[in-house]
Amino acid sequence: MIEFKNVTFAYSSTDADGRAIEQGSISGIDLTIQNGEFVVLTGGSGCGKTTITRLINGLIPHYYSGTLNGDVLIDGKSVPNTPIFETAKKVGSVFQNPRSQFFNVNTTDEIAFAAENQCIAPERILSHIAETTRNMQIEKLLDRSIFELSGGEKQIIACAGINVLSPDIVVLDEPSSNLDSSAIMKLKSILADWKSQGKTIIIAEHRLYFLRELADRMLILEGGRITKELQADEVNKLTFADTERMGIRPLSLEDISFSRESSSNHNEMLTLESFIFTYKDGKHGINIPKLELPTNSVIAIIGHNGAGKSTLARNICGLEKKCKGTLTLNGKKLKAKDRLHYCYMIMQDVNHQLFTESVRDEVMLSMTDKSMPDEQKAQKADEILTQLDLIEYADTHPMALSGGQKQRTAIASGIASSKPIIIFDEPTSGLDLAHMKQVAVEILKLRDMGKTVFIVTHDLELILSCCDHIVRLEKGEAAENYKLYKDIAARLRQFFAN
Amino acid sequence: MERKFEIKDLITAGIFTALYFAVTFAVACIGFIPIVMVFMPLIGPIFTGIPLMLYFSKIKHFGMITITSVIIAILMFITGHPYPIFIFCIGAGLLTELVLKAGDYQSIRSCVLGSSTFSLWMLGMVIAFFFGFRESYLNSLVDGYGQEYVDKMSEYTPTWVFFTMIAMCIVGGLIGGLLGAKVLKKHFRKAGIV
Amino acid sequence: MELGLSSTSDNSVQKLDPRTKLCLLIAISLIMVGGKTVGVEYILRVICAAIPFVLLLTVRHIKSALIYVMLLGLSVFCEGSVIPNISGAPNLILMILCGIISRFVPGYMMGWYTVRSTSVSEFMTAMDRMRVPYFITIPFSVMFRYFPTLGEEYRSIHDAMKMREIGQSVKNPFIYIEYVLVPIMMSTVRIADELSAASLTKGLCAGGKRTHICQISIKFYDWLLMLGSLVMIVLFFVF
Repeated sequence: MIEFKNVTFAYSSTDADGRAIEQGSISGIDLTIQNGEFVVLTGGSGCGKTTITRLINGLIPHYYSGTLNGDVLIDGKSVPNTPIFETAKKVGSVFQNPRSQFFNVNTTDEIAFAAENQCIAPERILSHIAETTRNMQIEKLLDRSIFELSGGEKQIIACAGINVLSPDIVVLDEPSSNLDSSAIMKLKSILADWKSQGKTIIIAEHRLYFLRELADRMLILEGGRITKELQADEVNKLTFADTERMGIRPLSLEDISFSRESSSNHNEMLTLESFIFTYKDGKHGINIPKLELPTNSVIAIIGHNGAGKSTLARNICGLEKKCKGTLTLNGKKLKAKDRLHYCYMIMQDVNHQLFTESVRDEVMLSMTDKSMPDEQKAQKADEILTQLDLIEYADTHPMALSGGQKQRTAIASGIASSKPIIIFDEPTSGLDLAHMKQVAVEILKLRDMGKTVFIVTHDLELILSCCDHIVRLEKGEAAENYKLYKDIAARLRQFFAN
Repeated sequence: MERKFEIKDLITAGIFTALYFAVTFAVACIGFIPIVMVFMPLIGPIFTGIPLMLYFSKIKHFGMITITSVIIAILMFITGHPYPIFIFCIGAGLLTELVLKAGDYQSIRSCVLGSSTFSLWMLGMVIAFFFGFRESYLNSLVDGYGQEYVDKMSEYTPTWVFFTMIAMCIVGGLIGGLLGAKVLKKHFRKAGIV
Repeated sequence: MELGLSSTSDNSVQKLDPRTKLCLLIAISLIMVGGKTVGVEYILRVICAAIPFVLLLTVRHIKSALIYVMLLGLSVFCEGSVIPNISGAPNLILMILCGIISRFVPGYMMGWYTVRSTSVSEFMTAMDRMRVPYFITIPFSVMFRYFPTLGEEYRSIHDAMKMREIGQSVKNPFIYIEYVLVPIMMSTVRIADELSAASLTKGLCAGGKRTHICQISIKFYDWLLMLGSLVMIVLFFVF
């Protein structure tokens, strides 16, 4: 049993100006979680759900410092007063970012890691690993480098590591952020398995549709307090309109409405020709002899992991020199090298594309026109920043911004570069409802400016709220290419439901 | 040791050592151009000084920089560098530890100085070329070529070159440290990361 | 960029213990760098030069083994027949070059063999058995884990620079370095934070005892090679 007794916590970190960061702090939480219960925590970013998971696995107060009042008890023992090493025996954790949660390079070592730390005899660990491998059918993932695995496979390895030590409680902090729909289904089956074993599961998530059948209880947080508590039967009854009102992601993909009239009636087309590219490993690649797409519209590129979505995006952008394909835009035939001047990509990890010391500089960096004087550039930059509600941060360092603001900064420099094609790589992974909607609004703004926008995404809601056209890839080939309108949305839903 | 290491310290040490080593390796790759190679002790520390300063800003107590030096020594040794690398690495590490401690792990000035003293480990890579190697190599030539020839050879590779390299390391390290301090101020402090 | 130990275990027939490899490294670097080229030491040198070749063959790195033999053969040939017949600057340059190759390359090749044939977990287990303290072993394995991440980070920053058309237009190398290094340093700080948190929840504890699923053991061959290195080192100091 996990008990929160009037718990209040505030992080002691401060921002660049020395103000205390209030994001994620919680106040007056009273909560009891019974053994074997499956609890979903949700709410907008910064609502405090991650903080609750950290209080359970002991990272607060043992790693993240701050002021803590009240007590957190697991089976009557106070977590803050127990060394984190002891808590680790009872509580297993899965984190959001698969890139930074592994200590080892080798997958088998990583699966064994938690058990090794508890000094369990090697023979026992090995037999547990063998059993886990059988149950989860992951023979293929053993003894590999984690750097070869997809995001979904990495999360499976993280879960396998938990199975080996088999703690009674598992906390997961946004485990689905970087996963596609098939990996989410796999995660769902692992969670269901844990639930049937009687483990207590606490999961903090934005994406909720895969949890509907599993959740015993759902807690909605806002501003560090639990504002709503729903039992399993209530969760099951939630409709799209309900979740929309509560400000959370939908619990079912079936009833997401498509209310928008497709406003893009553009007839001009751009053509991709002989986009044929294979990676060095010879396995992954794309093979698209010809593909015609409407310009000045929002085109979603969908498909399962490994179908070649990101590869296609990279090739459109011109990042793969070896690709011989051409893109014809307004009668101009563009080779890979030329496409670099025409395309701008907003990467999944925007941290990699922000280089300068202030948001304004970042936008000005994209204005490569040497004849324009700096004052004029600054003025133009400020105009763009105003459009994207970033003007108050013009002098802030981009790295001091929140994730959504960083992404908008990247979009702003894309606009400043005046390139006609903008590509988004998974723009909404790990975003809550409000931020997802904001991204959709920005994408539509880009279309209104006359840009052609490509979006690589797994997010059905985002597609329904801003895309005009769909390209579905399968094994590197364009399996489907169609205009999105109300009647055809069912076809799209079907893909995401499987 | 004043305080037991925490996991956070050890992971920080490991990650920053990796970054430091990778930058060193990248600069060394440019250094394959023969002319540049001579100036490696100067150029290397200028670049490595930048990540090193960030690492120093994360160090809060005794021992971490010594750990880094030991790890670099082991890594250099298992990739085939001769044993004097141990003396130089750990020596430079301990010296830097003292310099940082003198500034209470806070002072920017001692960090810049530390970037300079830490660079001295790079001499461990070349020491064998100058002493152990040159002496024995030249001695082995005496039989075949005669003493006169060997004396001429030693003139071409005089010992003072080694001392110039020490100077280059120190100066390079200082420049790198100052650059690093500038980058810290320009980016990391402004972003609220340090 | 191939930095660091291999990530998956090696399944070749003759698997040496990492400790044996360390012994051989010590012997080779001592003898090849400092040794004379006459008498007993000459024989020792030949043996030491041959060890990396044989070992590289056992792990099927045939290409590197052959390159190694060719380099070594070329430098011996030059020292014997070319250098005495030329003079002046070319003589000097060639002589220094050959000297470096014949003395340092065997050590580097042994290092290359050690790195390519040992997995991270084997090396960590060996360090633990040698009573290397935790405050060395933990950072050491974190380092190996971080090298590939650095590669990934670099590639994606490089892509971003290409796509934003910066870097090429920037003439000043210091600005280029700043654009590459600063984002990498930013993510280094972030990853260090997140990795520390994740490791703590998996019960990693400073100074705590751990077990290893990776089994290493000193076998007959290992004893033989270790004894051999010891004899060579003793002979080297005696003569």
